[in-house]
Amino acid sequence: MVSDAPALRVENASLRYDRFQALNAVSFSARKGELVTLLGPSGCGKTTLLRAIAGFVPLDSGRVEIEGQDMAGIPPERRDTAMCFQSYALFPHLTVADNIGFGLRQKRLSGSAMTARVEEVAAQVRLSAQLERLPAQLSGGQQQRVALARAMAVRPGVMLFDEPLSNLDAKLRDQVRAEIRSLQRAQGFTAVYVTHDQAEALAMSDLVVVMRAGVVEQMGAPEDIYRRPANRFVADFIGTANIMAAKVVAEDRTNGLYKVATPLGEAVVRSDVPPVAPHVYLCWRPEDARIVSHHETGSLQTNIYRLQVRSRTYLGNLVDLEAGRGESDGESWRIQTHGLGHGASAVNPGDTMTIEIAPERFRFLNEAVT
Amino acid sequence: MSSRRTLAPYLLLIPGLAPIIVLMTLVIGMAVSQSVTWTDVSGKVSLSLEAWRVTFESDQFWRAFLYSARIGTLGAILSVAFAYPVALWLRRPFAGSDLVSALIKAPILVHGLVAAFLYVNFVSFQGFLNVALVGLGLAARPIRMQNDPYAIGVVVLQVWKNMPLAFLILSGSVRAISDDVLNAARDLGAGTFGRLRRVVLPLTLRSLQAALIIIFIGAAGDYTFQAVAGPTSLNSMAQFMVRMETDNGLQGVSLAAVVAVMLMGLSLCGSILLAGLMQFLVKRAGR
Repeated sequence: MVSDAPALRVENASLRYDRFQALNAVSFSARKGELVTLLGPSGCGKTTLLRAIAGFVPLDSGRVEIEGQDMAGIPPERRDTAMCFQSYALFPHLTVADNIGFGLRQKRLSGSAMTARVEEVAAQVRLSAQLERLPAQLSGGQQQRVALARAMAVRPGVMLFDEPLSNLDAKLRDQVRAEIRSLQRAQGFTAVYVTHDQAEALAMSDLVVVMRAGVVEQMGAPEDIYRRPANRFVADFIGTANIMAAKVVAEDRTNGLYKVATPLGEAVVRSDVPPVAPHVYLCWRPEDARIVSHHETGSLQTNIYRLQVRSRTYLGNLVDLEAGRGESDGESWRIQTHGLGHGASAVNPGDTMTIEIAPERFRFLNEAVT
Repeated sequence: MSSRRTLAPYLLLIPGLAPIIVLMTLVIGMAVSQSVTWTDVSGKVSLSLEAWRVTFESDQFWRAFLYSARIGTLGAILSVAFAYPVALWLRRPFAGSDLVSALIKAPILVHGLVAAFLYVNFVSFQGFLNVALVGLGLAARPIRMQNDPYAIGVVVLQVWKNMPLAFLILSGSVRAISDDVLNAARDLGAGTFGRLRRVVLPLTLRSLQAALIIIFIGAAGDYTFQAVAGPTSLNSMAQFMVRMETDNGLQGVSLAAVVAVMLMGLSLCGSILLAGLMQFLVKRAGR
């Protein structure tokens, strides 16, 4: 259950390593029970930010507040956080039970209370049968669950996940991801989750913070980030996007309708948000285009484009097409359609097809063409 | 096919293991057989425990035994105690850490005999230390430190010579502990001593035991430092063994062999005790 009270607040966090600006005035907050994902490519500062929240690296400026308390000068061992490391960082000399109970022992819980808590958490992550085993005797997925249980056992104010699934295979990753999300919802703990996998971020988060080069590019709910990317970086990083330079040639702000000239052709755009400049970037997703049949084309009037297919990739549930206005020169666009959908199975490289993009499917990016 | 596969690794071990097993068996076998073969002045040889009886009735033997046990234990514990914090300190590289590390290892390059003579010269009545103490007004007259009766000089030399060895063994295992593991402990509430007791010490226990055993065996069997810088009223086991062999004519070989067997026994028992003690202390600290 998400509460309005902020469990974590990061304000203007900045950190510099010699000439490298790792974090530059980063701000975000997480409400109680919320799962916030820090998403970005390698080197964008997301892990550094997580380590700063945990207290492993001091900030040059800015502040971190947990449950309203400023964490400046408070060492990691006295912060109300617990981290799940990318490498799991299990204590190899301790059994699963001792690993899970490590933090409880530090908190000086009584023996019976500690045993009860360890058994309870182990049951939640389905490790009750492995309590006496050493980490080396467990599979990767089980080790990940021990790391999760160890962090959960201390019932921290904020749980920190540093790319916890990156060492797992694709199937196990999906399974553990679902387990983490379901435990997080059931236990109601606040979590900050670092990943470079946009699918993971979209699937798990209440709030996504997209970062690049130490700066927050955009933050919002997963659907907002996907449907309304702020700039070319976010549009391209989150999913696949067709980004075009567009020139606004006519506008009807009252109805939110704009006519723009693009390399694809003239387009009508329906947008609540007006373009930031007459020359602006316009984005549409590969699944926004619909392949139309010959007998339909006569009845359609707006945003109809004839394109030549340059390549076709069958992806099982989807067919991924690359198409352009000419045979090989000029810009090309990605179009994805269901494998069994109309037209997808009929088109092959070299064929000409007609697509339709609904006006509301185009999005203006908050970035002018310079 | 499967039995061949099982056998193959053992066969591959033979070139390495065989010389060790053969030499160990020869050394132990020869020492034990010589210790029970009493040779008298007429050259008559008979199976006898006479050498064991004579040795065990000798006060000098027991003093040498306890002395070597003491030097071995002190040398091993102090070397490890000095090397361990340095290994922890140098765990993460910093400006100048390579130089510090190289300086710590430098004593390995100095031969024990040379080190012992240098030490004796340094602490002798007219040596640098006494001259400095008198010159600085810290002592009214030179102090007698050479061949001191408490064997402080021998212990100092043992620590000086063996600390680099302990450092080499320990630094490898200390560096093998990942930052993430230490950060995880910290994140779960363990302070500096908590991390040391519950993570670092248990993860380096095997290296601690190895360092203690290697140094104990070397220090307990020391001849060089004892002969040059040790107390003149006491013998180490190695020194006593040589004395037995040279001072007792034909019986000397058997008497020396008894001391040799006892020295090997001391090495074995001392190593087991020290390793066990370390395990007990580390486990107790980790609770």
